[in-house]
Formats: sequence, structure tokens, C-alpha cells
Amino acid sequence: MQTQQSRNIIVTENLGKSVKTSSGTLHILSDINLQVASGESIAIAGESGSGKSTLISLLAGLDTPTIGTISLNGKSLTSMDEDGRAAMRNQLVGFVFQSFQLLQGLTALENVMLPLELRGDKNAKNAAVALLDRVGLSERLTHTPRQLSGGEQQRVALARAFVSRPAILFADEPTGNLDSKTGTKVIELLFELNLENNATLILVTHDQTLANRCQRIIKLDAGRIV
Amino acid sequence: MKPFGLAVRLLWRDSRAGELTILFLALLIAVTSSTAIALFSDRLERTMTNQTAEFLAADMVISSHATIPESWLEKAKQLNLAQAQTAEFSSVLIENDELLLAGIKAASDLYPLRGFLKTTTSDYADEAIEHKGPEPGLAWVEKRVLSALKLNIGDPITVGEKKLAISKIVTYEPDKQGDIYSLSPRVIINKQDLQETGVIQPGSHVHYFFQFSGEQAQLTEFKRWVKPQLNLAQRILDIHEDRPELGSALNRAERYLGLSSIVVIIISGVAIAMATRRYTERHLDATAILRCLGCKQNEVLWLFISQFLVLGLLTSAFACGLGWFVQEMLFKLLRNLLPQSVANPGWLAVFFGMMTGMTILIGFALPPLLRLKKVSPARVLRRDLEPLPTSAWLVYGLAGGLVGILIWRYTEDLNMTATIFCTGLVLLLVLGLLVYLILMLARRSLSSIPLNWRFGLQGLLRNSRATTSQILAFTITLVAMTLSFTVRSDLIENWHKQLPEHAPNHFALNIFPEQLPGLQTEFKDNGIENSQFYPVIRGRLTEINNVPVQKIVSKDSQGESATHRKLSLTWTEKLPEDNKIIAGTWWSPEKKPEVSVEQKLADSLKINLGDKLLFVVGGQQLTVTVSSIRSLRWDTMKPNFYMIFSPGTLESFPGTFLTSFYLPENKKTYLNQLVKHYPAMTILEVDLILKQFKTILSQLTEAINYLLYFALMAGFTVLFSAIYSTLDNRIYESALLRTFGANRSLLRRTHIIEFALLGLVSGVLAVIISEGLLFALYSIALHMDYHPTYYLWIALPLIGTFALGLAGCWGVRHVVSSPPLQVLRNF
Repeated sequence: MQTQQSRNIIVTENLGKSVKTSSGTLHILSDINLQVASGESIAIAGESGSGKSTLISLLAGLDTPTIGTISLNGKSLTSMDEDGRAAMRNQLVGFVFQSFQLLQGLTALENVMLPLELRGDKNAKNAAVALLDRVGLSERLTHTPRQLSGGEQQRVALARAFVSRPAILFADEPTGNLDSKTGTKVIELLFELNLENNATLILVTHDQTLANRCQRIIKLDAGRIV
Repeated sequence: MKPFGLAVRLLWRDSRAGELTILFLALLIAVTSSTAIALFSDRLERTMTNQTAEFLAADMVISSHATIPESWLEKAKQLNLAQAQTAEFSSVLIENDELLLAGIKAASDLYPLRGFLKTTTSDYADEAIEHKGPEPGLAWVEKRVLSALKLNIGDPITVGEKKLAISKIVTYEPDKQGDIYSLSPRVIINKQDLQETGVIQPGSHVHYFFQFSGEQAQLTEFKRWVKPQLNLAQRILDIHEDRPELGSALNRAERYLGLSSIVVIIISGVAIAMATRRYTERHLDATAILRCLGCKQNEVLWLFISQFLVLGLLTSAFACGLGWFVQEMLFKLLRNLLPQSVANPGWLAVFFGMMTGMTILIGFALPPLLRLKKVSPARVLRRDLEPLPTSAWLVYGLAGGLVGILIWRYTEDLNMTATIFCTGLVLLLVLGLLVYLILMLARRSLSSIPLNWRFGLQGLLRNSRATTSQILAFTITLVAMTLSFTVRSDLIENWHKQLPEHAPNHFALNIFPEQLPGLQTEFKDNGIENSQFYPVIRGRLTEINNVPVQKIVSKDSQGESATHRKLSLTWTEKLPEDNKIIAGTWWSPEKKPEVSVEQKLADSLKINLGDKLLFVVGGQQLTVTVSSIRSLRWDTMKPNFYMIFSPGTLESFPGTFLTSFYLPENKKTYLNQLVKHYPAMTILEVDLILKQFKTILSQLTEAINYLLYFALMAGFTVLFSAIYSTLDNRIYESALLRTFGANRSLLRRTHIIEFALLGLVSGVLAVIISEGLLFALYSIALHMDYHPTYYLWIALPLIGTFALGLAGCWGVRHVVSSPPLQVLRNF
């Protein structure tokens, strides 16, 4: 049992999230029990409004649950305060978003350097240059997001996600804003990098083909795993 | 994380991306203005103090009825203070069988330490400026001495036992002292001749003036050292007390400088607050990403605060240089009006400017910045997750507290600060609430109005809270500009009023009662405008409520000096013009013996209504009841009295009459005729004092004008940059409307309606708040009459409407001219 638990990098028990609205309490997520093994790739699929984004934000420690517990790498995320969760994200987690979420004022290189700079890593620039080279953007280091296409922006976001060598990568609809050809290229790159880094991948998508590339699919409907 | 290095790098990256431009501009205006005004005020004040020191002929004067201890002079010498002395006394001169009571002034070699004397040698010769008095053996006399004693230049004149040669006619001496009634025709001699005149005997009535000049620090030290050692008959002269007409003009000008500083600081503060608000809103996403990447809440906050501090320090350093340049330019513009030597700029003022800049930055930028701390990392997934706004108490409390401290610092009056601050705050809160309610109500009537009006109004109603704070910000800026403008106009108008073109420039004293009807007729026949004739009876105040006055007064006070000399008492039926009863009533119908006391003297002597004052007049005792306390204006060049008695009280005592009159330059010869007809009458010419006073007023007026232009310029720059800081959402929404097919003219009309309404409401609120504050300021701080400024009620809403309308439409102009996709992509 102990061995099994230590291999699970994410564990949730009876996880739930509800919000109070003028017409009563709205249950966004209920009874989510989940174990994700280290290095596993999981797709969270479901219709719009099924609670995918809420689940990923709880798992990543971006938000707090109303009920239940989450442990990340053996540590209880739910018992941590906001600063504790921030430290956990900094050490353990990488993100890729549908809307890229690059800092508009920063160049591609500076965007990628940022997570390492936050850690105080002196080698930030070299690592960022290497990773941008890896995603095929060595010629676009000094370009700002506005000067890059959607696919290029998402590649910068991938480089930023992997530059800090995260144990877990959360990807929220990473191809949602891209055409299918570019989307496919980005997904290829994402899986390659994930493999190279031996990271656990939690991928939110409503694209069945993409979901099928993961080892396991968790389907959500009205906030519950089905 | 190494926050500081990262902060600097992020700051650099932000500045390159143009995110800091508006904030930088706001801060630049704040620090440049505060440094320029701090430097300008400091230099102007010191220049004016130097200049007004000329009225004392020194930086500091100790007046005494006897010589002062040698150790005092020794101490002044140790402190490197230059010293001069004058001794003044009355003496009867007899020449050519004529008698004249003259005022003799024996001056030491270095007299005057500040300012100059003016002399001439004949009626037709030009006046010469003299920086020292006559050499031993010589005497300079006023022209009246020559005519009264039938003497000419070069003739001998005997003062006491000493025969001196008259070498010059003195036409101006800088330090004609206080009690003008004792002024007699002047004779100036060298102090070395004083002993030989034999006039000074034990018990003679001599007034000594020990004059000092030097560096401010040494003067202050000397003053502090000497003050506790002064005896009852000695006092330090002060420009504010001893030349009240100049003192009050300077006081008001100093207050205006203070007001300008506050105005500029408030305007800049508003700009910084709005720019930071925009900065915060534009950094919500970046903060969410930083938080998502593992930045802790306090680290995020520290990251941004460090950036602001670095930005503040760099901008402040640059702005200090710019402020220095601006005040140099202001002084260059004023060069022709200011005295030859202008005080050097002080480093302390630069430092103060910089500190002010940083304080404004922290006070006004910190509250909006705190919002970033509350950004949820989940915003990276859901952009609609807005952090809660910083508590309104904190936002307005910190900024308000800062403004309160600044007002207090400049006014140094807790009561006044509280009144101004509370009036402003209450008006702002009440009107802010009112605007919010009106916006909420307006929402209901939206559906029934034309489309462009609906879009325009929707722009304001969408976020009532943000619109209210924008309106209040613009209102505050407009109020600040209005205060600066109105106070300046009224101040200058007030000065012009107190010194109209035909302000009296001569005093006629020692008019005997029997001469009065003749003189009145003569003035009338010659078309001379004169003020009222007042009886003058000399008397001494000895007791207040049966307690000797010496026991009541504090040392070195105005009251103390009043108890040492005879006062000029008068009586009159009617309250003199420019006098105002501030407590009690003018004469009671019972015709009791009553007196009306001047306010400052009453304060100093702790005199209250109903007190019994005992005067000794002509050897007789006279008890009167205080029926009123009066404020009066010393700066009108009309006779003024500390004590005015009720009719029927003083008539039985012997006295003379006094008046002041205006005589134009080309009618000066009439004075000789007047002196011939009334030889006992003393004429005092105050043209030069008046001229000097007018020069100072015009210098102050010009300086104040430039300050106003500067404040207005800062105000308009801020209004424009503040409008820019609110444009992001408007541009985005307009671009969206265009994608849905809104044509350019609809958008233009919408923008005009939205911004013009914003300006109109701000303008109307600004008028109401300005009038409230002006009332508080005038009645409490500046002691001027308040009257509503009617044109403001039209001008301010119009200015608000046009300025904001134009600035807003200019700011969003490219939304209507660029392809919408291009605009949207940039968001």
C-alpha cells in the first residue's frame, strides 16, 4: 500500500467545489477520487461546463476545494496556505494554457527565463535559450508575443513549462486556440518534451483524438467522474 | 527568488514595452512640480526676506532703551555677524532764531547693514544711493529741517553742543520705525559725534537699535542665545510685527506658495493613483502567471513595490534636475522684477522635492498596487476572476492622510488643516455618493434614449464604481486648479484694493483742534483727498481689571512693547473703514466710557470683552470697559489705532488731530505752502515706503502668476494622462462594436457623449467643492472676504466638458480609424 501511494504523484479524496449563487449553492465538482501515478499521462475530457478547468486548477493548487483533500507528491496541498501552494507550484508544476498566457511586454526568451528567474537560477538564460532551440524558435528569441503566430506562442509556452523541469505538467486545452495542423505539431512537441522530462501529464481536452493519446482518460459530466 | 534583481529586470522589460509611460509621466510631473515649487518658494521667500530685511536695515535688530551688554556684541562677533548701531532721540534745534523739534539719528559706520539711504544735494540734483551714513563732523538732514531753520547745504547746524556741517539732504532711510506719531524731521549724524553733543545724559530718552546681519544659521543661534537675556525694555524687532503692512502681504504670499505646493501635489497624486490603477489592471494577467509559476503573495507585492521604488528613485532624480531647470527658468522670467541679488537655490529644497515625490508615490500608488497581491493564480484559467479592490478606507485613507499632513506642514495650523480637510472630505464623500446614486438611477432610463446616447451612457454606467472614482479624480484635479486660480485672482485684487492708485501717501500729524476747520477747507479747495481726521490723545495703559499690565504680558510680545510706551488713543462715533468688529458691539446706547481694542493687541494682553482697562492720560486716570475687539488692516496707509474710545470719553483731554492724504508727485510743492500755513503740523511722506511696498506686491504678484501657470499646466497634463489611463476598456469595447458594424460617426458621437458627460459632471462637482473650500480657506486661512465666484459656475462645467471631451476623443481616435482586428490584437 505504501509503495503504491509513493508512486502516486497526485491523490484526491472526495474532492468537491461549490459556490454560492443568488439561486442557491452551485456544485461545480463532487466526489472526485483520483490517483495519478508518476510519469502517467491522463486526459480529463468532458463537455463545456463539466468542471474540467476547475479540476485542473484544484489539482495544480491554483484554487482551493470546498471539500476533500489533494496530495501532490505525498504532500497535502489542502493543508497548505497560499504561500505553501505557491512554493509547491514553483518546485513541482509546469503549465500550458489554451490562451498561451505569455507576458506581452516580455520577449520569447524572457518569458521562458521567468520561472527560473523566480527560483533565482543563475543559469536561466542558457537553459531558456536551449529549450527555445529545442522547440524550434532559436531565431525568435527577441520577439514579443505580438510578433509571434499562435503556434509559435504556444511553443514558447511549452518551453516555459518545461524549462524548470517540472514533475507534473498541466495542460489546459493546449490546442484550443490553434488550427488543426499547428495544433498537431504542438501536441507532438508536448508529448516529446513530456517523455524527455519523464513528467506526469494532466491534459484537459474535449478533443477525443487527443485524449486517446494519453494512457488514461477521465471523463467528467456535471462535475462528477463518469 | 532574488526579488530585487528580478524587479529591476522586470521594470526594464516593462519600460521597454511602454507599460510605464503614463506612470513615469505622472511621477515626473509630481516630482518636477514639487521640486520646482519647493525650490522656487524657498528662494523667493529668502529673497523677499532679504529684501524686507531692508525695512529693518538689518537681518535682525534689538531695540533697547539703554546700551546692551558688551558680551552680546562679543557673541555676535564670534558668530561672524556684521554689526551696526543707531541711537535715536528727539532734540530741539535752534538756528536763525527758529526752533525745531528734530528726530536725531546717530548711526555707526556700517549702518545700514541691509538696504540703503538716499540723499540729494539740491532740489534739482538726482538722488544718490548711500550705503553708509555721514562721516564724523557732518550731518544729513531732511529737507524740512532746512526750510524750518532757514538753512542751506554747507551751513553749520548745532546738535546739543556739537556743531556739524550739513552735507546732504536725506530723502530716504530704510528703517523709519514704528510709532509714526513721534517722527519728527530727521537729522542723521555719525555715532562718533554723539558723545560730543552732550545730549545723552543719564535719564535721557534714547532709543538704541543694535543691528546684525549674517548667515541665517548664525542669526538663528544668536537670536536663541540672546532672547532669554532680554530685559523688559529690550526686544527683537520682527518684520511681521514691526511692519505689519508688509508682514501681512508676505504672510499671504507665503500661504499662496504653500497652497500651490499642495495643489500640485494633489494633482500629481491623482495622476499617480490613476496611472497605478491602470498599471495594476494591465498587470493582473502577468501577476496571475507569476503566481501560477510559484510566486508567493508577498513576493509578488514586493516585486512590484521594488519596481515602483526603483522607478520612483530614478524618475525623482531626473525630475529633480528638471525641477531645478524649471525654477531657474521661472527666476529668469522674473529677473526684471526681482531684486538684483536673488538667494541661491537650497539643496534642502531639492531633497525635500525628492522626498515629496517619493511620499506621493507611496501614498497614492501603494493602495491600488496592493490589489495585485490578491490576484488569484486561477485567473490563468478564468480571466474573469478579478481580485477584490483594495479597501476604499485604505485607498482614500492613505491618500487623504498624506494630503492632510501636507496641508498641515504648509499651514502649520491644526485648526485650519482640520477645517480644510474635513470640508473637502465631507463634500467629496457626499457628492461621490450622489454621483453613484445618479448613475444607478440613470441605468433605468437607458432603454428609452437614442442609440449613441445609450452607448455613451453605458460607457459610464457599466462600472459605476470605477466611473465614480474617475469623476472624483477629475473633480479633485479641477478643484485644485480652480483653487489655485481663484485664490491668486482674489489675492491680487485684494492687494490692488488695499493700495489703490490714490492710496494716501502722506500723513499729517500734530494738527491742533483750532486748525482743523481751516485745514479741512484748504484740503477741499485744493482738491486733496484725505482720510478722516482723527483726534490723537497720548496715554498709557497701566492696569487691566486692576492688575498691572506688566504682570500680564509675556516677554517680547506685542502687548509687552505696547505697555512700555504711550499709545495714541482716539475716539470716534463711527467704526473706521477697514476695521471689523470680531467680538462684542460698537458703542452701546447708554454712552458709557467704552473702548474698542485691536485684536492682536487684545490677544497679547489677554484682554476680553467686559474687561476694565485703566489708562493714564495727561496725569489723570481713566477707566473704560472693553466693548468690542476689532480686526483692522495695517496695509491701507490710513490712520489706524490700537485703542478707539467711545464718544464723550476723551474729549476733555488735550490732543491733536491726524489724517492721511494723497498728493500726486507733481503737486509736491504744495507741501511747502501747507507747512508755511501750519508750521506746527508734521507732514510725514510715505511715498517711498509705499513705492517699495508696491514693488514687493508686484514681484509677489508676478511670482504667483507663474506658479499658477505652472499649476494649471501640471493640471491639464494630468487630466490628459489620466484620461489616457482609463482608455483601455473603452478602446477594446469600441473595437468590438466596430466588428459588429458600428460606423465611425456613431462611435465618435458615443465617445464625445461619454467623455463630455464625464467632464460635465466633474466640472459641476468641482464648482460645488471649490466654493465650499474657498469659503473655508478665505474665512479661516487667508482672512479675506468670501463671495461666490459666479463665473466659475459656468466656466468649470464648460472647461470640464471640453477638456475631457477633447482629451478622450483624441485618445480613442485610432479606434475609429484603424482596422478593428488590429486594435483587438493589441489587447
